[in-house]
Amino acid sequence: MSVKLEKVVETFYENLEQGRITGRKCKQCGAVEFPPVYACNSCGSTDMEWVEISGKAKMYSIVMPAPLSMKPEYKSLGKFAYGEVEIEEGARLNAVVRGMTKKKRKEIMENKKLPVSCHAAIYQRDGYKTVVFDLDEEQ
Amino acid sequence: MDSVMNETKVHPYSRGVSIIGVGCTPFMYTVDNPETNGLTEGEMFGYAALQAMEDAGVNPQKVDFYFHGEASPLNGSNYLTPNIQVANWFGMKGKASIHHSEACCTGYYAVEEAVNAVASGKYNCVLSGCVEFGDSLAVPGHPYKREKMTMDKFLKTTSWLYDRNYTRSLMAGQELIYDDAAEWYKRTRGLTDQQMDDTLNRMCINNRRNASVNPLALERRTYEDIAKEKGFDNVMDYMRSPYNPQMGDFLRASGVELKCDGAAAVIVCATELVDRYMGNKNHKAVEVLGTGCAACEATTPHFEVSATKEAVRQVYEVTGVKPEEIDIFYANDFIITSHLISAEIAGYLPYGEGWKYICEGRTAYDGDKPINTNGGRTSFGHAHAASGLADLYEAVRQMRGEAGAGQVKFLPKTAMLRGYGGAQNICTYIIRTAE
Repeated sequence: MSVKLEKVVETFYENLEQGRITGRKCKQCGAVEFPPVYACNSCGSTDMEWVEISGKAKMYSIVMPAPLSMKPEYKSLGKFAYGEVEIEEGARLNAVVRGMTKKKRKEIMENKKLPVSCHAAIYQRDGYKTVVFDLDEEQ
Repeated sequence: MDSVMNETKVHPYSRGVSIIGVGCTPFMYTVDNPETNGLTEGEMFGYAALQAMEDAGVNPQKVDFYFHGEASPLNGSNYLTPNIQVANWFGMKGKASIHHSEACCTGYYAVEEAVNAVASGKYNCVLSGCVEFGDSLAVPGHPYKREKMTMDKFLKTTSWLYDRNYTRSLMAGQELIYDDAAEWYKRTRGLTDQQMDDTLNRMCINNRRNASVNPLALERRTYEDIAKEKGFDNVMDYMRSPYNPQMGDFLRASGVELKCDGAAAVIVCATELVDRYMGNKNHKAVEVLGTGCAACEATTPHFEVSATKEAVRQVYEVTGVKPEEIDIFYANDFIITSHLISAEIAGYLPYGEGWKYICEGRTAYDGDKPINTNGGRTSFGHAHAASGLADLYEAVRQMRGEAGAGQVKFLPKTAMLRGYGGAQNICTYIIRTAE
């Protein structure tokens, strides 16, 4: 049996503590799972290896936080939005993108500039580190 | 590249399955009314179950098995095995049962589970029921008292819907439930901010009009009446006012579910045995032609849209039904946007035009493309697990011509129902009145 009983989640968070943002790459089809899991969702293989992601990404949709979607602990994020993000390695996920404002969104949407470039960053939450994305400067 | 989305090939049932009886309590705030304060799980589930059996003409002892749905039994009822705790209430003592929860999608999976159990050939006649106290919590240590569930307590439990390894940590998946579908629709169909806002408001107005003629609905006062009371001549001015505040990026307060208490149930049997089970009942059975199901965990971009597309694809493929054959449509719209996007994905409303149908009132109960004729989650109410079966209750009553003042202007023959919930399951099915 190729699947191993291993602590993928703990490894992901420990890697973040060491400044590395990691996913798992399928050795069969090359797809990258981010965040990392046991099996490849593109081909079903369990033959996976840890890879560090480049951090380059694109944001495909923009939803601004509002009373229902805001929590007190999110205030330290500064200005941000939620949206669909594709990392350079191909995985897509819902993520937080810092640096987005209503004004920037208006300008992006009016000028049909989606997707916009962003990059992954390690963000300290209460007791652990997680991954957010930052809008690239040129936006 | 789109997000990864695996597809499933669905096969026809081994034998036909039909709905022969339905039951539903009023959706209500039980604790707020002395007449209903103190009602229990067994009483609510039992009422819906026995009403469905009576409607079917079936004695409880003829029912082989029951499914029980409750979205949050530990939090709401202090139960781990809620199916067993109601077992003695409706004449089926000793018969086997199973509990399931898919949160807000539970009442839709209730149909999937029951139909599969009969289609497999193991059982001939099955009860599927759901109960939820969405507005109150069991008082620990007391045999029947309940206390009001505050929004804070409710929101604490809804966080349990999301994966704690990654989703809660990444912060986006659980927050996109409110506005992702609206953002997707507005961007892909090219609506202005004003058009999107008006469409969301119109869906709430239409839902409320539908609920206003439904005696089981939680909130029956029309927005037109509420607007007048607040001094507005035009209901849309009221809907755009601070009386209906912006709660999401797009979503206003009127577009959020009214969580409440309720129960609903259905009896299904093998189609070949309908005459034997229904006895002297003369209403027509309603056959379940097929279901389509998919699920996208909340980290998946556009989870509701993607899973709905896949579920709808499955149900059309397995049934051979065409979108133009759907006469009436139901969508679990605890976030009102679901109502629009699912009807359009299903082809019940034309691509890019659905918002216009809604704004013209064509999707209200007296329109030509009725949706959520019971009032949906923003007006009929949302007793989380029970809502899906309450929608089925309404659909079946419409198809029999028994919906009273809220009867649509034609007799619908074919209906599609699309369930959604539990971060996030989708279960959609097509039912058709037997010839």
